[in-house]
Amino acid sequence: MRKAVIATAMLLMVLPAAAYSEDKAALDIMRKVDARDDGDNRTAKLTMVLVDRNGKTRTRTLQTFLKDQGPDTRNLMFFLGPSNVRNTGFLTHDYREPERDDDQWLYLPELRKTKRIASSSKSQSFMGTDFSYADMTRRVLEEWNYRLLGEREVRGKPAWLVEATPASKTIEQRYGYEKSVLFVRKDIDMVVRAVHWVKDGGRLKYLDMVDLQRIDGVWTAIELDMRTVRNEKTEHRTVLRLEDVRYGQELDEELFTLRRLEKGI
Amino acid sequence: MIKQRIETGFGSFARFVCRNRVSAILAVLLVTAAAASGLRNIVIDTSTESFLYPDDPVLVRYEEFRAQFGRDDVIVIAVEPGEVFASDSLVRLKALHEDLASDVPHLAAITSMVNARNTRGEGDRLVVEDLLETWPETEDELAVLRDRVLANPLYRNLLISADGRVTTVVLELARIADASRISVDSALALFDVAPQVPDEPETLSDEDTHQALTAVREIVSDHREGDFDLRIAGTPAVTDTLKMALQDDMKRSIGLAVAMIAALLFAMFRSPVAVLLPIGVVVMALLSTLGIMGHVGTSLKLPTVILPSFLLAVGVGSAVHLLAIHFRNVAAGLDRHAAIIGAVSHAGLPILLTSLTTAAGIGSFWFAEVAPIAELGGYSAIGVMLALIYTLIVLPAGLALLPQLRIPGTRHTGRASRWLDRVLAALAGWSVRNARPIAGASLVVIVMSTGLAAQLRFSHDILAWLPDDWPVHRATRSIDHDLGGSVSLEVVLDTGVENGLHDRDLLVGLETLGEDIKAATVASPVTVGAVLSVADLLKEIHRALNENRLEYHRIPDNPALIPQEFLLFENSGSDDLEDLVDTQFSVARFSMRVPWRDTLEYPPFIRDVEDRFAAAFDADAEVTVTGIMSLLSRTLDAAIRSAARSYVIAFGVITLMMMALIGRVGTGLISMIPNLAPIALTLALMEVADIPLNLFTMLVGSIAIGLAVDDTVHFMHHFHRYLDRTGSVEQSVRRTLQTSGRAMLVTSIVLSAGFFIFCLADMKNLVDFGLLTGVTILTALAADFIVAPALMALRYRDLVGNDEQSRKGGLQ
Repeated sequence: MRKAVIATAMLLMVLPAAAYSEDKAALDIMRKVDARDDGDNRTAKLTMVLVDRNGKTRTRTLQTFLKDQGPDTRNLMFFLGPSNVRNTGFLTHDYREPERDDDQWLYLPELRKTKRIASSSKSQSFMGTDFSYADMTRRVLEEWNYRLLGEREVRGKPAWLVEATPASKTIEQRYGYEKSVLFVRKDIDMVVRAVHWVKDGGRLKYLDMVDLQRIDGVWTAIELDMRTVRNEKTEHRTVLRLEDVRYGQELDEELFTLRRLEKGI
Repeated sequence: MIKQRIETGFGSFARFVCRNRVSAILAVLLVTAAAASGLRNIVIDTSTESFLYPDDPVLVRYEEFRAQFGRDDVIVIAVEPGEVFASDSLVRLKALHEDLASDVPHLAAITSMVNARNTRGEGDRLVVEDLLETWPETEDELAVLRDRVLANPLYRNLLISADGRVTTVVLELARIADASRISVDSALALFDVAPQVPDEPETLSDEDTHQALTAVREIVSDHREGDFDLRIAGTPAVTDTLKMALQDDMKRSIGLAVAMIAALLFAMFRSPVAVLLPIGVVVMALLSTLGIMGHVGTSLKLPTVILPSFLLAVGVGSAVHLLAIHFRNVAAGLDRHAAIIGAVSHAGLPILLTSLTTAAGIGSFWFAEVAPIAELGGYSAIGVMLALIYTLIVLPAGLALLPQLRIPGTRHTGRASRWLDRVLAALAGWSVRNARPIAGASLVVIVMSTGLAAQLRFSHDILAWLPDDWPVHRATRSIDHDLGGSVSLEVVLDTGVENGLHDRDLLVGLETLGEDIKAATVASPVTVGAVLSVADLLKEIHRALNENRLEYHRIPDNPALIPQEFLLFENSGSDDLEDLVDTQFSVARFSMRVPWRDTLEYPPFIRDVEDRFAAAFDADAEVTVTGIMSLLSRTLDAAIRSAARSYVIAFGVITLMMMALIGRVGTGLISMIPNLAPIALTLALMEVADIPLNLFTMLVGSIAIGLAVDDTVHFMHHFHRYLDRTGSVEQSVRRTLQTSGRAMLVTSIVLSAGFFIFCLADMKNLVDFGLLTGVTILTALAADFIVAPALMALRYRDLVGNDEQSRKGGLQ
């Protein structure tokens, strides 16, 4: 009897400790992901292919310029195609500070006007794709709770399986996800796959970094595939492909201004 | 000769059953259990789509539309506070909106003033936000909000009534049920399978819709308080209410039918066995039929409500005839087995034939284009034949097995019987002696009735099936009045090319059509309350980009600006474009909100819209008209054709059967007159009483002919038998009426009572159906008692002459 009590007591002590160590391990993994060098001063050509439920596609190409500014990110994009929106420019200032709304401007060449778009929720679609604004930016590490689920292989490479749940209802509301399961490749500390449980509508979103390349020493997702799935059926899909990726370019802060936006490419 | 052989066959069969009575009953019970096991698969489907076959082109187009743009059949909650633009009202509206958004299952979208899109320019900013994102605090801010809402043409009649008195909360249910919580393992497994695309139409089940509406009703009831009036309408609310009414009416009609049959059987035979056996037989036939529906995967639909009580009333007829002869045989001193065998061999053929004619009558709907009507026809015919087979096995076996306790009739019954004999004899004499006037009057009735019947109008108005004072009925009428409509007609415009909707001329065309259609329908029954297309959205963006100036509420003059304005909107975070165009900007939706009317009113409007679109776009785009309204119209169209086809089939097949039975073409044709006249009379009655032909009342003719003809079969069968024996028309008629006529009277009372039960239903269409079929059965009986003898008197007028001579001789 005494032995049983001791065994139970030990088990009760070990169990939370095990859970704690799993959470700690997951957090350590995600810290490494957060600390990974994802490059700066990047230029690239971006092709977006939007595929609807009937398999019909719509393609857009953009020239992108990206620069870190302290914890924040500046992003300038010019549409190269289709021709009817060529030269339309899109400038965003993404703030790391969660409470601060991002700034977005769109320049319409035919109207010769720049319009500031009143802040949209991070959970809303980015340019009509399956990616949300939140998907396009780096997550704030502290806003999520992590749990290590195990290990898996992704295209022959070992990866950690980490579950991330929003730390609060506000964060859940902001990102629009109930939880995410992330595949973190062990050798490069990079999220290479993810499944997001969308808060409303019973949908799942599948992110797959189909093509990874090391460019200028930075591991870069060259092709990203995001599928919106409901009841095991794909409702919509977006493929993003980067070309001519270059890091460490001389991108002046002047580039990320309204004046430059209105000048066009 | 053939008849004798058949009778011998029936006798041998009955002997076999009596010998193996236990095994026979067990076999039937086993078959019933096997069939009835399908009952657990039975589902109810009262949706508007359920009226059409899945491969009906109109339904296929509609499903394609829904796959692209979502559902057009929305739940509309009309909110009428004392003053919409008051702080208190807005707080209540927000609370209602939030409760609905969080607690209604299977919800795809919810729109009210709380979250309606508000696109506007503010200095250099384009603001696309929820209307009440900035909460109005002061009276001035409330006044500004009021002006903004009432001035926005996109809100008018969709979000708020023109007078600003009533606002709405619109709920769009999902096309499929909410996905259940998917486990991490199952979710991850999907990474390794090829992406699937939805391949078949996805529809929310009736059960899921009911769940959603129950939640809506509860929330609305919680929020309805004082002068905060809330009303629920919209197609899903109407069909869900119909479903509940259907279930209630079905339960009630089955209960009443069983009770009524039991009472009549007891009154007629005064024997518990004579009550238990027929009821056991019809209940087993009913369970088997419904079970087969479950096995096949046929759902219960609105018209199927008729099936149970129809089968109960009709199925018991054969048992009544068998029992009547059996008890007569017993009374005549035959032993139990001989009485049973005698009854089956004597009545086997007529009940086989009457079952066949009944099955042919209702089965004539098997070819209907309206899916549930065809199913009702098919399964009812199966049920009738099952009831016959079960009767021929269970009744003899049961009679052979169970103790024949018989409660003696009262003296009163004997007196009534003698009185009835006198009446029937008098009737026989009067009919034969007044053959010419009766035949003439019948002809006049048929001609006049046919004239009136030709003016009958078809109708398909599922809302009108519900009582006027039911909440959903009143809500729909008031929403139609305040907001111009709760039903939608959708036009899909396919340009066939990517970015085809960036074409300015096309967008201007859509804008002009919207205005023209609204203006043209102002004074018509189908007045378009609101129009919405991508052209409206573009005008809204253009105005917002130009300092909200009213003169910019138009399609931009510069065509090159159009794709850029759309791009701007796409980047504003709103996903509202998805509801109006496809992702390639090649297909557009043009949505019209119209009031709920009898479907009869829609086809001219739909044709007008089609013509306008054809004229506006000619070969530039492919135009498809769809939406709930087009489904209703197609159902009406299919119903008209189905009714006509069914009537022709029923009359044709049954006439041929009568000719075969009587063995004479001429007499067979004449014998159809007593069946034709009551139906013509009923149709004329409908015209006079302003009851339209609808999916239910159109069944009356074919069902009634199948049933009415049974009496004629019995009349003709016995009449010719007596005529051969006596050579006297009057005597033959008198004997026929006094023997077979009594059974005809009883079965007609059972049958008509079985249909009159529907007069107690909630659904008005069922009341009409029950009343008309019941009346038709009684007039058919009257025709068999009066017109049939008169016609036989004319057919055999030479023999009538003998009658008169003998009567005169007798007098001398």
